[in-house]
Amino acid sequence: MRLFWLPTSDETDMSQLLQAAWGGVLAGSVYGLMAIGLTLIWGAVRLLNLAHGALYVAGAYAAWIVIDLGMPLAVGIPAAVIAAGALGYGMHATIIRPMLGRPGWDSATIIATVGVAIALQAAILLVFGPRVKQIPAVIPGSTVISSVRISYQGLVIVLVAVVSLAALFFYLRSSRQGMAIRAISQHMDAAALMGVPVQRTYALVMVISAGLAGLAGVLLSSVLFLSPTSGFTPMIIALLVTIFGGLGSVKGTIVAAYLIGILESSVQVYLGGAWALPALFIFIIFMLIVRPSGLFGVPEARRL
Amino acid sequence: MILEVVGLEAGYGPATVLHGVDLSVSEGEGVVVLGPNGHGKSTLLRTISGILTPRAGSLQFAGEEISAWRPDQIASAGLVHIPQGDALFGEMTVHDNLLMGSFVKAAWLERHERIERVYELLPQLKNRHNLVASNLSGGERRMLAIGRGLMTNAKLLMIDEPSLGLAPLLIEQVYEQIQSIKESGMAILLADENADHISGLADRVLLLESGLFVREGPADALLADEALLAAYLG
Repeated sequence: MRLFWLPTSDETDMSQLLQAAWGGVLAGSVYGLMAIGLTLIWGAVRLLNLAHGALYVAGAYAAWIVIDLGMPLAVGIPAAVIAAGALGYGMHATIIRPMLGRPGWDSATIIATVGVAIALQAAILLVFGPRVKQIPAVIPGSTVISSVRISYQGLVIVLVAVVSLAALFFYLRSSRQGMAIRAISQHMDAAALMGVPVQRTYALVMVISAGLAGLAGVLLSSVLFLSPTSGFTPMIIALLVTIFGGLGSVKGTIVAAYLIGILESSVQVYLGGAWALPALFIFIIFMLIVRPSGLFGVPEARRL
Repeated sequence: MILEVVGLEAGYGPATVLHGVDLSVSEGEGVVVLGPNGHGKSTLLRTISGILTPRAGSLQFAGEEISAWRPDQIASAGLVHIPQGDALFGEMTVHDNLLMGSFVKAAWLERHERIERVYELLPQLKNRHNLVASNLSGGERRMLAIGRGLMTNAKLLMIDEPSLGLAPLLIEQVYEQIQSIKESGMAILLADENADHISGLADRVLLLESGLFVREGPADALLADEALLAAYLG
């Protein structure tokens, strides 16, 4: 996917390098937001949520509604997070909770999340139609730093993503609820014996994960276009990131997001945009041969 | 009476393991359930702590009927189970494992004082506080599991076979710690395979065979009856 347009001609080596780095940080930030939610759910609930892309789109449309009503994007961003988070809560209450623990639930829930994705996308298509929409930038305009064009929106995206990821990291590391999420992912019965309400914690994980997907949706839709199916490619890349980082590893996912972002952006700068996605897949396939459980993954271990 | 079990039946799938068990623990009392492997000791503790749902009978803890409660509700009420195999959070540090013991809000507010007390009681944990739990030795893991139990707001601590898999020297240490916990006033319900180490902490002993209590009595009388213990425990 050619996410961010990067000029390739008439520039010095240094500015090419800077361009690759900036593009990589920008893409990596969005991939990180998107992938961390998948990793959280996998780590805690052992569920592969293929509705993640639909939650991304749903969040972006919620923001679009708010902006269409004449409110600024500063209101649209929390609206996206809340709308997607509420959908995540609904998914837990109606689909995941009744299925968990039943025979064959692991594959059943994957299929169910595909169903949710299709239903959500169809509903959005019915309500909003197939025409693409765009979300305006928080701050329009751009600046040039050593011949690299940096949009203010890009800066906002990086800032919001880095702050959100750091907040999540510290939340998981030392807050009561965050530690409970890690505890459940490592030993569910033991967590329950310490008084952790398992289902309520699952619901919390779904809300956080979906909220982050909604955040990624509204941020990225201001750079790309928004359509009922535009969450698909970001979700696929998020899946690549999650697998590369080691499913269930938060640290691995964040490192992988930026590595993949920088790899993609470098390929775009040095080889051209058409090579970005093929190069990414070749890299991942090679990685999975060398390290089948990803960067930070331990085979079949639960890590958060 | 802090725990009152009446007519408890429980099991897995089609198999019934406990066939109507009566048991009670008073405040500050040390009760030991003895029985050979596979006769229902772990099933009994797992049913009391809510991991298994009872099929019949009543479970009363601190005056409330808990047989329909979830494990986290039972733990929050102060009935804390240290299961076999320790059930540690393998990729958390010793310190974080202990903190998880204080997950319940009332305990969480006092977690710093509690952790100091646990480090005082189990100094070997303090030396290892930054180590990931899966890197601990067997004895240290058991100590951590017990320490984590002490981080809770437990009124009754249920401990399942604390000596399992430990070297003889460590076994002594573990039972000494449990004994000092009991002496601090905590009620303890302990399940064990043999009677070698329990004399210091048991007030009352029950013998479990094929899911039924076959003998029950004060610890000094029952533990003195070597012929009886040999017959049941081999």
